[in-house]
Parts: sequence; C-alpha cells; structure tokens
Amino acid sequence: MIPRLPLRVVAAVGALALVAGCNLPPPASDPEARAEYFETNDPLEPVNRVTHTFNQAVDTMLLRPAAEAYRIFIPQPIRTGLGNFLDNLLLPRTTVYNALQGNSDRAADSFSRFAINSTLGVFGIFDFASDMGFPPQYEDMGQNLAVWAGTLDGGPYIVLPILGPSNVRDTTGRIIDFFTDPWQWLGQGDTVEALRIARVVAQAIDTREGLIEPLDALKAQSLDYYAAIRSLYRQQRDRDIQNQSVGQRRYFDWTGERQGLPQ
Amino acid sequence: MMTRRSALLLLGTAAALPALLAAPRGAASTDLAARAGAFIEERGNQVIGIVNGNGGTDAKRDAVAKVLREAVDVQGVAQFVLGRHWRTASEAQRREYLSLFEETLVRNLSARFGELRGVTFNVGRKQMASETEAVVSTTVSRPNNPDVMLDWRVADVGGAPKIVDVVAEGSSLRITQRSEYAAVVQRGGGMDGLLRAMRQQLAQLESQERR
Repeated sequence: MIPRLPLRVVAAVGALALVAGCNLPPPASDPEARAEYFETNDPLEPVNRVTHTFNQAVDTMLLRPAAEAYRIFIPQPIRTGLGNFLDNLLLPRTTVYNALQGNSDRAADSFSRFAINSTLGVFGIFDFASDMGFPPQYEDMGQNLAVWAGTLDGGPYIVLPILGPSNVRDTTGRIIDFFTDPWQWLGQGDTVEALRIARVVAQAIDTREGLIEPLDALKAQSLDYYAAIRSLYRQQRDRDIQNQSVGQRRYFDWTGERQGLPQ
Repeated sequence: MMTRRSALLLLGTAAALPALLAAPRGAASTDLAARAGAFIEERGNQVIGIVNGNGGTDAKRDAVAKVLREAVDVQGVAQFVLGRHWRTASEAQRREYLSLFEETLVRNLSARFGELRGVTFNVGRKQMASETEAVVSTTVSRPNNPDVMLDWRVADVGGAPKIVDVVAEGSSLRITQRSEYAAVVQRGGGMDGLLRAMRQQLAQLESQERR
C-alpha cells in the first residue's frame, strides 16, 4: 500500500516551501537592484527554477525525442498537412477573440481563413487562404486579458509544470481557454475523447518539432537558459498582444529531402 | 567671486549647449536610416558572398567573424548587456569582460551564419526607432524553409554606422542577453562568477568548432 501523508502536513510543507522559495525585493538603499527586481518580476524564481529543471528533464527524456522521431519517421508533406489541420482548429476561437478585442478587421480575416481552408483546403490540411491574403493568426485569452487591461504587464512570471513559461495573466487565460475551446463542447463518447487526447499530443509534438533547432541553439549559447527563456517569453508575448508577430506559414516540400538532420 | 555678467554668460552657454550638441546629431539622424539601410545591405551581401563562396568552413568562419567585428558596436553592446554592473566592475574585470564578450558574440554569430548556405536576403523598411537608432528590417530566405525576419538596430558610432542589436522575429539579442547576464551576476557570485561562466562557455564553443 502507498503510505498517505495527512493533508495538513502536505499543506504545511507546501506553504513553508512557498515562503522559503520567495525572492524578496532588495532594500530601498539599492534602488537599481530594486528596479531590476520589479522589472524582472519573478518573485517565485526559486520555485520556478525547480519547475524549469523538472520541465527540462521531461523535455530531454520525452518531448524532444518524440519530436525528433516525428520528424524522422513522418514525411515532411504529411507533417505540414497535419500542422495546418491543427492550426485550423484554433481559428474559430481566434475569430471570436479578435472580435472580443474589438478588432473586426482581424476577426473577418481569421473567419475567412477558416472558411476557405476548411472547405477548399479540405479540413484545413491545405493552406490556400495564405495565397488569398489571409495569413495565419493566433489569439488566446491571455492576449485578450492584456488588451482589455490595456497593459503588457502580465504580473509575476510563473513556470507551469509541463506547460512551461507563463505569468499570472497567461495562466488565467489558459484556464479560460480550456473551457472556451469550441471543440471541447462537440460530441461525446470514447472516440471523441481519444481524438481530443490525440489532438493535444499532436499539438505538443508539432510545436516541439518546430522548436528543435531554435531551442538547441539557445541552450548552447546562453549562460543562463532559465533567464533567457524568461526574457524571450515576455518579448514574444508583448509582440503577440500587439499583433506584431508574423504568422509562420507552413510549406509543402514534395522533393522528399530530409531537413534538419546533421550534414 | 563670479560677476553677474559671467554668470549670465555661463547660463547662456549652458542653455545653448544642448542645442549645439543636438544640431549636428539631428541632421545626422535624418539620413541615419538611409545610411543604415545601405550599410546593412552591403554587409549582408558581403557575408552571403562569403557563405556561398569557395573555401573551407574554417576560412569562411574567420572571414565572417572579421566582417562582424567591424560591423558590430561590440563595446556598446557589451556595456548595454552588463547594465548597472558595468559601473561597479573594476578596470581589470571590464577589460576581461570586453574581450570575452567580443569573442563569444563573434563566435556565436559566425557559427550560425556558417550554416546558412544558399541564403538570400532582402532589405525592407528602414526607419528611425529612437533619436539615435535606426531599424533596418530584412527578410532572410532559405530554400525549403519559412522566411526569417531579422531587424537590425543601427546607431551612429563615431561617425560610422554600427550594428547595436539584432531582433530575430521580435526577440532582441541584447535584451535577452542582458537579463541573462544579470541573473548570472546575481546568482553566481558577482562579476567574477560571470567572467568564470563566460570563460567556460567560450571554451565550450571553441571545442565545438574544432570538432
């Protein structure tokens, strides 16, 4: 039998760890260090670093190998088609969120993109909309919250287990996103449940596959990988919120050439 | 004792000083964007010429490194990245930091450029990002790969345009590096800890190159 800890002990140890794991602001006598502390906005850094290390282990043992296997065994055109299909599933939500942000032009664009690619593009597998002037878009609740609050400040940085870098705003957004995903409401039964899980897994592997080289390079070049990710996450989110990022279009490559393998 | 007149004169000069200093810079900044664009185009073509040209990998890397050393405001970037710790560093620490920083920067960048065979690049928008810095947007295309947007921040350093930052798809190299280095200084035992980490990283980069 597995020995069970009394809940009260667990809670007490947890609370203690949280307090011990807090970074307190530097004294007022050192204004520059204080300014840096508030700019970095990572009071939970000690806890976050532990979670980061855990995530790294999961990535090294599970996610990155899965992404590599995916790249090696699945031909490039199929990966592109699957990636397009997965991206297309996110468009209805993006459309609604664009509208909720008061951006009717972008809402119209993402709706047109969804309509074209779901029909002409056969369930989103082919991306004809990009050629017609409707480039990829992505919105989530974290971006909505930022637009509504009128600030790029997302609160303290948080590293979520498995899910990775986030902050108070984006964690809240993620929870809401989970419940507002339209595909969450459709259908029921074991097959639908299995498809939902398959989608989450495919999404994770597809995303990681695209990040193999960038993250390898970042890891090799950074003195402090954790701090680099923290900074990059903030910069990227700021850009997403302001709709400055350019959506990455996926291309089909029928030549059968293998990419990304060491030459 | 200061007379009334000299005091007024002093005041007058002090008031005029910013205007005097600003005048030539203002004039220069109007064409900095244009100069920066031409500068990035020229240097970019130079690098691509090297990457796609003949010669061994080592020779190419050295040639790219040489272009970078001239094109990048290494001292300025280094100081920006170290931030507030630059002022408290000793003379010896500063000197070692600068040389380590230059080596790491050049090696990191030239190692990346060396991989880019068959690249082409287009210079897009050129505009002033602040009073002293211009941004030149470029699109780097590789066969069978999505285009990469690289923005180059260029400042006037001693009368010549120099690169002060690279922004890849919205991620600024110098801002990312600054927060990294600050974390190392804070956690790793101050300036000496940072220098130790930099030395280690450089040794690693060197051993990778030899492989």
